[in-house]
Amino acid sequence: MGPLVVNEFISPDTNLFLAFLIGIGFGFVLESSGFSSSRKLAGMFYGYDTTVLKVFFTAAITALVGMLFFSLFGWVDLDLIYINPTFLHSAIVGGVIMGVGFIMGGFCPGTAFCAISIGKLDALAFIGGLFLGIVIFTEGYPLFEELYKAEFMGTPTINEFLGLSRGLFSFMLIAAAFGMFWVGEWAEKKFPREEY
Amino acid sequence: MNIRLKLAAIFLPLGLIIAAVPENTTKAYKLTAEELLVEAQEGAQFMSTDEIADALVQKDPSFRLIDVRAQDEYEKFHLPNAINIPLTDILSDEWADYLDQDVKMNIFYSNGNLKSNEAWMITRQLGFENNYVMQGGLNYWAETIMNPTAPASTSPDDEIAKYDFRKGASMALGGGAVGTAKSSKKSSPKPVIKRKKKKKRAAGGC
Repeated sequence: MGPLVVNEFISPDTNLFLAFLIGIGFGFVLESSGFSSSRKLAGMFYGYDTTVLKVFFTAAITALVGMLFFSLFGWVDLDLIYINPTFLHSAIVGGVIMGVGFIMGGFCPGTAFCAISIGKLDALAFIGGLFLGIVIFTEGYPLFEELYKAEFMGTPTINEFLGLSRGLFSFMLIAAAFGMFWVGEWAEKKFPREEY
Repeated sequence: MNIRLKLAAIFLPLGLIIAAVPENTTKAYKLTAEELLVEAQEGAQFMSTDEIADALVQKDPSFRLIDVRAQDEYEKFHLPNAINIPLTDILSDEWADYLDQDVKMNIFYSNGNLKSNEAWMITRQLGFENNYVMQGGLNYWAETIMNPTAPASTSPDDEIAKYDFRKGASMALGGGAVGTAKSSKKSSPKPVIKRKKKKKRAAGGC
């Protein structure tokens, strides 16, 4: 039966409304789990706080297992699920920019808006930078266009790339996630920080 | 027992199950029985033999004829440029690109209407667009295009024009004997190509 929008169980407008509600819920949970603190987020890179890794990987494997079971029960058609198309070069460059910005600013775009909603000034500076980046990119688009569109690969998935079945790859990813959680908690003990 | 172990105790067995079961490759039917019934009753899937003959004569590249009969029947006789997808193979991956597309008009034909309608119903249920059925099949084709019967001289003009067109098409496509035209030639109406929107992936992203 799913995806609900594609199969016209709900209209695009209802979809937007639901997205609005889910967005509010998402922001609320982000804030209440301390994700509006840039020090907590940056702790990921220094090892004293790996909440980010744990939260996002838990979310990813929950969604992964959920979607695969839904597909198994025939509740959702995975062929109709949106997969972000891969432009290899811009993905690498964008990843580097995002990573550097994350360490320097202590936010990712979503958490920055979470933080500004509770009045954090560093988030204000971060969002200023974000808008500056958007202006530079859009105004300078002709300069970046070639890089932006280079190495288009369609919508490959890693398991196809490796020649594994979806399920086997998912199991490996779950195992890897728990391995990383273990490493994360080890790092938290190894590089503790009292206050941040 | 910390939270990591608890989570692992839930997720790892689920992951094992997912790794062990085969992927669900069943194709969900996109239309309910009622919706399909309505479409079938409307008969919107039918293309007349005249429209198809016109497309063949004009070598319209947007048409693709698909013979859904068995291979030996196809080899014995088939329409020009038709490809053979036996009804039994219609679900195989080999033909998916031919049947699920929005570039060409696929026209199924068989001896009558039965098999071609089956092919249309299956592909329609899978949500594929642009598949049609040649009305009456090859039998009707032979009757109307290959050996058209002349209308009475008192028939209305468009009947005679239709006959002339069929006669011409018959000649062009290698049909029966050549007769003389009875009135000035009119070109038959061009088939209207209906293009329906294809179901796309939901757009989204972070």
